[in-house]
Amino acid sequence: MSITNGPMPDDATGLRKTSRLGALLQRSEAARGFTLLSPTLFIMAVGILVPIGILVVMSFWTQVGFGFDTTATTANYQMAAERPIYGALLRRSLWMSGMATMATVILSYPMAYFVAFHVHRNKMMWIVLITLPFWTSYLLRVFAWKVVLGYHGVINSALMNLGLIEAPLEFLLYSQSAVVITLAHAWAAFAILPMYVSLEKIDKSLLEAATDLGDGPIARFLRITLPLSLPGVISASLLIFIPTTGDYITPTLLGGPDGAMIGNLIQKQFGAINNWPMGAALSIILMLSIGAIAVSFMLIANFVRKRIS
Amino acid sequence: MDVIDQLGSLKEGKLSRRKFTTSLMAAGIGVMTTPLATRKAGAAAADQGTFFTWGGYDIPELFAPYKEKHGELPNFAVFGGAEEALTKMLGGYVVDVSHPCNSGIPRWIASGLFQPIDTSRLSNWADVMPELYDLKGNIVDGKPYLAPFDWGQTSITYRTDMFEVEGEESWDMLWDERYKGRLGSLASGGDAWWCGAIKAGVPLTEIDTPDAFEKIAAVMRAQRPLIRLYTDDTTTLEQALASGELVAAMTWNSSAALLQADGVPVRFAKPKEGALTWVCGLMIHKDAPNLDLAYDIIDSLLSVESGKFMISDYGYGHSNIKAFDGFDDETLQGLGLSKTPADILAGGHFQIPQSQQWETKMNTLFEEIKSGF
Repeated sequence: MSITNGPMPDDATGLRKTSRLGALLQRSEAARGFTLLSPTLFIMAVGILVPIGILVVMSFWTQVGFGFDTTATTANYQMAAERPIYGALLRRSLWMSGMATMATVILSYPMAYFVAFHVHRNKMMWIVLITLPFWTSYLLRVFAWKVVLGYHGVINSALMNLGLIEAPLEFLLYSQSAVVITLAHAWAAFAILPMYVSLEKIDKSLLEAATDLGDGPIARFLRITLPLSLPGVISASLLIFIPTTGDYITPTLLGGPDGAMIGNLIQKQFGAINNWPMGAALSIILMLSIGAIAVSFMLIANFVRKRIS
Repeated sequence: MDVIDQLGSLKEGKLSRRKFTTSLMAAGIGVMTTPLATRKAGAAAADQGTFFTWGGYDIPELFAPYKEKHGELPNFAVFGGAEEALTKMLGGYVVDVSHPCNSGIPRWIASGLFQPIDTSRLSNWADVMPELYDLKGNIVDGKPYLAPFDWGQTSITYRTDMFEVEGEESWDMLWDERYKGRLGSLASGGDAWWCGAIKAGVPLTEIDTPDAFEKIAAVMRAQRPLIRLYTDDTTTLEQALASGELVAAMTWNSSAALLQADGVPVRFAKPKEGALTWVCGLMIHKDAPNLDLAYDIIDSLLSVESGKFMISDYGYGHSNIKAFDGFDDETLQGLGLSKTPADILAGGHFQIPQSQQWETKMNTLFEEIKSGF
């Protein structure tokens, strides 16, 4: 308002101002960097920091009927420590997604290795082919596994037709293993791509040198390829472990009573149980545990890498 | 601007930069405005009312009068349990009409999210059975908040060819050790906890006592290792019953009716302890963006056509007394229904509204039990 109504600013001062700002930007590299980052920083602040702030504040409240008692209390955290369900579900979630992460990385590594070292033409097409199954929705893939593992599903029908089993195997569906299998498949693309990138970057002359110096294929893999591809393995592991720990769709559909994870309980707190502060406290506990595990994993991996390389 | 001419000059490399930019702009404007044009032509679904309901009610058969009037179906949003729906709306989700049940009425009204119904705007209201809307807490200052729509029972659907009933049908069937790992249950405490109360012999009027909590929790804990699957998705239960993965499950009337229609040998049990009975209905959101359409949605659901479909295909009771006219007593009895719903409602165990604190406490405990604690 004041700009349109007030007197026009003096051209000369306006110019000087911009040039001074410009000079400041020119001089400080950090300032230039932050200016370039500012849109991203803004989205990070609005989209991540503010919600996490709300979550932290809310976790110290208590639910009263439909409203909140906003006096700060650690009652939610005390309850999470005292009642066995929360710790047990958290441990189970970490265990299950740890298993899923290991399975995914171990199964995906050979694929990434193959594409990086043994495919010489049309690499892009191979990558596209590998990621092709992931163009369908996550939910559809989970349902597909329900069909595969189901009571009259693909595996059970096949085994029964072959005469190997009399009655359908019941442990296939609605169990922890069903969740682990599905997670391992659903997240494979996120493991293959980073591992492929770090394998692809390995200088082939190093491998030739190792062969020249007398290393067999296995020693060469263990001493050159594996250590050099560890960054890819680490990022793949974190990329899978972090989101799968809080997953709730897969255990809801495939987990059964014994396969529920902490994500299911958090969702219930915000839904049927209607205790949002408790849900917030559980989310924060989950975030902290994942953070602690991720950091220690990275430290161990770095240590191992230094030792073997 | 002649398109052919432009393409020709482009081929010859003669298209001037200005002309090229002009055609680009024309194309851009064309692309931008296309969605506007189709939006107008299609009488977008955004102009319809939104019905936030249980899965299975989002079907054209229940909205014939609505479709006749507006040419399209309302928009649907689906929930698995009424508690989940209420929390979603408390979180700011605005719909036109939602679908709670009798046990939730006082709490839903207390949430301040709903408006009383002006019954003069419903052409079918005169035929609605009064005992269905004269429910505890429903009528405030002479106006009902809930327009009753469907009523029925929560009981056991079991495979007559696979489940051997010992003596009379009873809730013990869902606690039968012989069928460990072949039994299923609804996951929502709104059904399962109340059925647990019936099984434990706790009168529903005393469900809010520490003693009742203890007794019901013990019963639910005993049942948990026997259950293969807790779910709010009735389709999952029906498929599992159809394939024989489950031999008995806690369901509503519709699961048994749908499976029987498919030729699956199932029966909807009449447990000797009594089944759990409920009435569900429609409430209008206080900020309903399409209030007129909200009344049309309700009127359509209360119509005789919808009622006949509910009775014949889903096996639920309907609130419109005229909907029962086409059915003889024997058919109704087979479905566990009656033209005088008071008989059925009084014969079973009718859910009693509880406080929000009770709901939170019960759901917290039931979740722990379902997870094995």
